[in-house]
Amino acid sequence: MPDTTLLIAGAWISAGLTIFLFSFLYKDNPFFKIAEHLYLGAGMGWWFQVYLFDVLKPKVWLPLMNHDWLVIIPALLGLSLITQFIPKISWVSRYGFTFLMGYGSGLAIPAGLATDFINQIGGTIQPFANLTGMSAFTFFNSVLMAVGVICVLVYFFFSLEHTGVIKKASNVGIYFLMIYFGAAFGNTVMARFSLLYGRFDKLYAFSSRENFYATQIILIGMVIYFILHGFFAGKKTASGEEAA
Amino acid sequence: MTKNKLIFFIILSLLTAGGASAAAKKSIPSPALAAISGLSAADMPYDSGGTTLLSWDADPTAPAGTVYRVFVSSLETGGWIKAEEFGSGEKMSGSLDLPFWAWKTRPGVHEVKVELNNSFGEVNDGQVFHFKISKVGGAVSAESAAVSGSTRGNWFRLDRLNNIVMLALVTIVFFWAVSHAKRKGLFIRRIAGLDAIDEAIGRATEMGKPIYYVPGIGDMTMVSTIASTFILGEVSKKVAQYDSTIKVPHYNPVVMTVSKEVVKQAFLEAGRPDSFREDINQFISQDQFSYAASVDGMISREKPAACFFMGYFAAESLLLAEVGATTGAIQIAGTDAEGQLPFFFTSCDYTLIGEELYAAGAYLSKDPMLLSALKAQDFGKLVVMVSVVLGAITVSVCSLMHWGVFAQLIANLFKSY
Repeated sequence: MPDTTLLIAGAWISAGLTIFLFSFLYKDNPFFKIAEHLYLGAGMGWWFQVYLFDVLKPKVWLPLMNHDWLVIIPALLGLSLITQFIPKISWVSRYGFTFLMGYGSGLAIPAGLATDFINQIGGTIQPFANLTGMSAFTFFNSVLMAVGVICVLVYFFFSLEHTGVIKKASNVGIYFLMIYFGAAFGNTVMARFSLLYGRFDKLYAFSSRENFYATQIILIGMVIYFILHGFFAGKKTASGEEAA
Repeated sequence: MTKNKLIFFIILSLLTAGGASAAAKKSIPSPALAAISGLSAADMPYDSGGTTLLSWDADPTAPAGTVYRVFVSSLETGGWIKAEEFGSGEKMSGSLDLPFWAWKTRPGVHEVKVELNNSFGEVNDGQVFHFKISKVGGAVSAESAAVSGSTRGNWFRLDRLNNIVMLALVTIVFFWAVSHAKRKGLFIRRIAGLDAIDEAIGRATEMGKPIYYVPGIGDMTMVSTIASTFILGEVSKKVAQYDSTIKVPHYNPVVMTVSKEVVKQAFLEAGRPDSFREDINQFISQDQFSYAASVDGMISREKPAACFFMGYFAAESLLLAEVGATTGAIQIAGTDAEGQLPFFFTSCDYTLIGEELYAAGAYLSKDPMLLSALKAQDFGKLVVMVSVVLGAITVSVCSLMHWGVFAQLIANLFKSY
């Protein structure tokens, strides 16, 4: 098949799947279901080959071919997870799961302790080391950060009932959290809009004459479908009510 | 005329004097740089290997602008690669980023970490490398004799002693809390949002509609996913008691396996093992957005009465919660992914923020182990609060009184190396 034909076919498939998925914003429909199931299958197929060629082959198969027998241990632990599907020996999978949990905790706890705990304290008090050289604004900023850290921690303190001073500090903590969440929300929404513009840009490209107006034709086709579906569904409901 | 002669003579004298001065300058030889002494190459302690520590005596007589160049080679002769270049006053022993308990500063000595991985890729333990230093000051230079050294990974990182002390302290508090919880119980404040769980399940039972419990896209090693499975257990228990329907769509097969056991156990504890079905937990996809699209489709078609989004979520959070909101379901969310919390706030009825999710499992189950873990976390928070207050005051006083050493000591204590 010539390259241009493939490109045009790709444009039609891409425009079609994008519009099918966007159609969910109106309501659930067969086109969305097609795109949904296709996406699900393609996603699984993609990850299957990734695990096969990027994990199993380089990390198990090739070392075994090079007589590196040590990889048998993690490979067996991994295989033990599959025994879940055989009820009689499903207990074997517990070894794999236990190792997974232990390994994960061992990795996460020291890292969490270092970043969330020690670095948090160090980072908050560090600006005060330069107290004599800092401007009034920097000093205010440093105090604000320290107060913010303490108040937010008070909010997440579960051992005491939040009443009196604790409640006041906790409320201040909520304000700090909300300011952060507002900033995070704005930041993420901007990023999401850039993704949306990317899709719109593609749809615009697919609407060209070279692509045989893929976007417009698919869009019009779907609008016709929704009008007809609405018309016949309405008729069906009305006749059903009459029969009743 | 005489005047002109005089001016000519003066100019000639000046020019001659300038030339003589330049000649005098040229004739003065540049002072030779002192030889590099005391060069040694040792394995860098407290690392995972691949880094050599070079040390040599500083030269206090080195003129301004003198630079040191560090060369490394894997060959005995030739093949030198420049690894570092810095001024003669830099990279002294004290400038190494190591705490006072793990490193003794040697005055008047240069100490430089040479990361061999940067120049040679993966470096094996015991592999020998050769090093030499050259000192360049203007037109003159001096070069050291080559020294050799190998590296190895270290089992214990003494520089992280503060981490292990803190971990030991938290562990002690945890075991104390376990013993206390078993004897007297432990208090946890009310967490808003969790009280709504009963309401949501009751509503689903009355309406005869299912409950969707989405455990997110985290794996089983993530704290939020572990917390989510605890909450799933409690929710499932109530679902079994009310004889309602629950569906748990999964992204991660390992989480699904664990959740299956959790739900089965919950139905058993509720005295309704007959109501448990294998298809309560369904594997959907391990691709983030196809998982989101599929769960969206399921929620949109089945129109559940309640949706729980508990665990780790990324960009799919709004996609899921928005669709749930359009179906009119009561929605309760909880995650420690800060970036996704705003989306849950906007589309859910109740949201558990960060650590509230971890606390929820303990709050609902009142299990002594979970309660103790929560108490240990609270202890950690208390330590952070007290340390921030005391540390800020102490460091400020040190700064005002110019007690730099004491401030450095505190900075060492609160740094993870």
